[in-house]
Amino acid sequence: MPDAITLTGVTKRFNGIVAVDDLSLSVPVGSIYGFIGPNGSGKTTTLRMIMHILLPDHGDIEVLGSRDTAAARDRVGYLPEERGLYKKMTIRRLLRYYARLKGGTKAGIDAAIEDWMARMDLPGLLDRQIETLSKGMSQKVQFVAAVVCNPSLLILDEPFSGLDPVNAQVLKDAVLEIRRRGTTVVFSTHDMSTAERMCDRIFMIFRGRKVLDGSLESIQDQYGADTVRVRTAKGAAALAGIPDIDAVNDFGQMQEVRVTGDPQAFLARLAERTAVYHFEVTRPSLQDIFVRIAKP
Amino acid sequence: MRKTLIVAQSEFATLVRSKAFVISVVLMPVVMIASIVLVRATKDATDSKDRTFAFVDYSGVVAEPLKSVAGLYNAATPESGEGGLTRKGPRFIPLEVKPAGRIPEELRLELSDRVRTAELFAFVEFPANIVDPAGGAQIRYYSDHPSYSALPQWLKMTVNAVVLNERFRQASVDRALFVRLTKTAPLEELGLFERAGDGGVTAAQEVDAARAYGVPVAVLMLMYITVMSSAPQLLNSVIEEEKMSRISEVLIGSVSPFQLMMGKLIGGVATSTLLAAIYIVGGLAVAEYWGGYASAVTPAILGWFLLFLVMSIFIFGSLFVAIGAACNDLKDSQSMMTPVMVLVMIPMFTWASVLRAPDGTLATVLSLIPTAAPFLMMLRISLQPGPPLWQIIASVVLMALTTTLVVWAAGKIFRTGLLMQGKSATIAEMLRWVAVK
Repeated sequence: MPDAITLTGVTKRFNGIVAVDDLSLSVPVGSIYGFIGPNGSGKTTTLRMIMHILLPDHGDIEVLGSRDTAAARDRVGYLPEERGLYKKMTIRRLLRYYARLKGGTKAGIDAAIEDWMARMDLPGLLDRQIETLSKGMSQKVQFVAAVVCNPSLLILDEPFSGLDPVNAQVLKDAVLEIRRRGTTVVFSTHDMSTAERMCDRIFMIFRGRKVLDGSLESIQDQYGADTVRVRTAKGAAALAGIPDIDAVNDFGQMQEVRVTGDPQAFLARLAERTAVYHFEVTRPSLQDIFVRIAKP
Repeated sequence: MRKTLIVAQSEFATLVRSKAFVISVVLMPVVMIASIVLVRATKDATDSKDRTFAFVDYSGVVAEPLKSVAGLYNAATPESGEGGLTRKGPRFIPLEVKPAGRIPEELRLELSDRVRTAELFAFVEFPANIVDPAGGAQIRYYSDHPSYSALPQWLKMTVNAVVLNERFRQASVDRALFVRLTKTAPLEELGLFERAGDGGVTAAQEVDAARAYGVPVAVLMLMYITVMSSAPQLLNSVIEEEKMSRISEVLIGSVSPFQLMMGKLIGGVATSTLLAAIYIVGGLAVAEYWGGYASAVTPAILGWFLLFLVMSIFIFGSLFVAIGAACNDLKDSQSMMTPVMVLVMIPMFTWASVLRAPDGTLATVLSLIPTAAPFLMMLRISLQPGPPLWQIIASVVLMALTTTLVVWAAGKIFRTGLLMQGKSATIAEMLRWVAVK
C-alpha cells in the first residue's frame, strides 16, 4: 500500500533547541494514524511540517506523493490545535471562503457544506455569525471547514479536546465516515482510549524522537503480558509487601499491577492475604505504556 | 494568484462591511455637510449682550468723539447702518471715568474690581500723548476676558480713527484730500492668454483662489484621508483576526504567508480605491454645484491619483501588516506604529511650504521621497503649471522600487511573526527576520 505521508530523517530546531530529532515515519493511505506524546514532545511541530507551515531543517517530507508539501496543500484538510474562525463572518461565508482556498467550486462547496452541517447536528445555522456559537459548535464548524473539500488526507491536531461526550462522539463518527470514503486520517490526542479504539496505527513521539510506531497489538507485544488486573476484598492494601511487583496503578475498585515474576505465583501470594474476586493476566494498556515511557 | 485573489475578495468584503468603512463613507460626508449647515445657520446669529466698558481719557481729545461714534454704532443695525456704520454684534457702551486726582494705580485697581464684579466688561486708558505720532503712546485695554476680541478691535479701529482725525486737524490738512491722493491701484491676478482651436486668442482668466489652491489641497487631503482610512485597518485585521483569533494557522494550511499578505494588501487597495471613488464622485458633484470647479480635476490628475494611491496603500499597508504580524495585541502595536505615523505626518507638516513654492527645492526634494510622494507630488501635480514630467516619473519609479522592497521585507516579517504567540517582537527582531535568507 502506498504511503500518504513519508518523513525521512526529519529534524527541526527552534533557537538551537531540538523539537523533532531525526524522525522517520510512514503513514499508509486509508489508515487512521494516531500521534501521541506528552505536551511539548514535538507532535504539533511534526504536523505543522507536514502541512508546510514549518519547514524542516533537515530531512525530507513527502505528502500524497509530492515532495513539495505546499503543492499537496489543496488535498489536505487541517484542523490546527489553535482553533481560528472569523468571528464576524457567518458560518456559510466562512466555510465557502475556506473551501475556495482549497480549490473548491461554488456549486460543489454549497452542497458539501449543507451535508456536513447536517452530519454535525448543525442544520439551519448557516447564516448565524460565528461569534454567537458555543465552543462545541465552533469546533464542529472548524471540523467542517477541514473536511468540506473532501480531502485525500485529513490532519487533526487534538480534535476531541474540550468537547462534551456527545459532541466528541459526533466528531468520532465523522472521522470514521471520512476514512470510509478513502481519506487518510492523522490525529494527535492525549486520550489514550480514543487512540486505542480508533487508530490502525499509533505513533508516539517523546522529546522529539520516535519511541513507538505500529499497530496497538504490535506495540503491546513489545511489552509482553506482564500486567495483571485484580479486584480483591482489601483493595490496594493487599498488595503491600508482595515481591515481584514493579508498579501498581490503583483505580480504587480495581488495581492494575505490573509483575516481574510468574503471575500464578503472584496470584497464590495474593490469595493467601485476601479474597480475590477478579484476576486477569493481560497486556499493558496504551495508557500504561505511555506512562512507562514518559514518566520522569 | 488565484488564492491571493480569493483572500483579497474576502478581505475587501470584510473591510467594506466594517464599521470604520461605513463611518468613512457615510458619517464623514454627513459631518461635513452638517458642519457647513451649522456654520451657515450660526453665521448670522448675533451676540446681543451689551458690553459696557469704562475709559479714562488722559488726552482730552478722544472721549467726546468716541462717545459720539459709539452712539452711532450702537444705533446701527446690520441692514440699515447709521452714519455709514453697520453693527452685527452687541452694543459697546462707553462709560467715561474722570481721574479726579486719583493716582493711576489706585484707579486701575478700582476699575479692575468693577470688572471682577461684572459691573464693567473691561476698561481702557488713552494716554495724554496719544495724538503725538512720535510719542510712542499705547492704548491700554484691561479685561478678564482675554479671548474676546470684538471690543478691543473695535476700540483700536475707532480710537485710531479719532486720533488720525485729530492729527490731520492739528496739521491743518484736509483728510478727505489725503485719502484721495494716497489711494492705491489694485492688482488683478490673471492666468495666461491662449491660442484657441479656431486660431483666435482666448483671453486670460482671473485667478480663482478656490481653483488654484482649494482643489489641490482637497486632492492632498483626499489622498491622506483615503490612505489613513484603509492602511491602518490592515493592522487591526491582522492582529484581531489572524493573530488574536488564531486564524493564521488555519489559513497558512491553505495559502502561503506571502499569498495571504498580498491578498490582504490587494483587498486594502480595492477598499481604498472604492472609498476614494465615492469621495471623488461626491466631491466633484459638490464642487461643480458650488462654482463649476469639477473641471479643475483633470483626467490626468485622477490617473496619477489612482497610481499614487495604489502604491501608497502597498507601502503603508505592508508596514502596518508587518507590524500586526509581529505584535501580539493592539496595545503592543501602538509603539511600533509611531515611526510609520511620523512618515505619514511629514507631508502634513510640510504641505503648506510646498503650496507656497511648488517648484522650489524643498518641494522637489520632499515630493521625491517615496513615503511623501503620494501626498506632496499629488499636490504639485494639482497645482498649475505642475511639476516637470521627469520629476513625476522619478517619484513613481522611486515609489515602485520602495514598494517592492517594503513588500518583500514585510513578507518576511509576516511569515515569521504570524505564527508567533505569547510576546511581541522588537524592531531588532523584525530586522533579523528580514535578514534571514
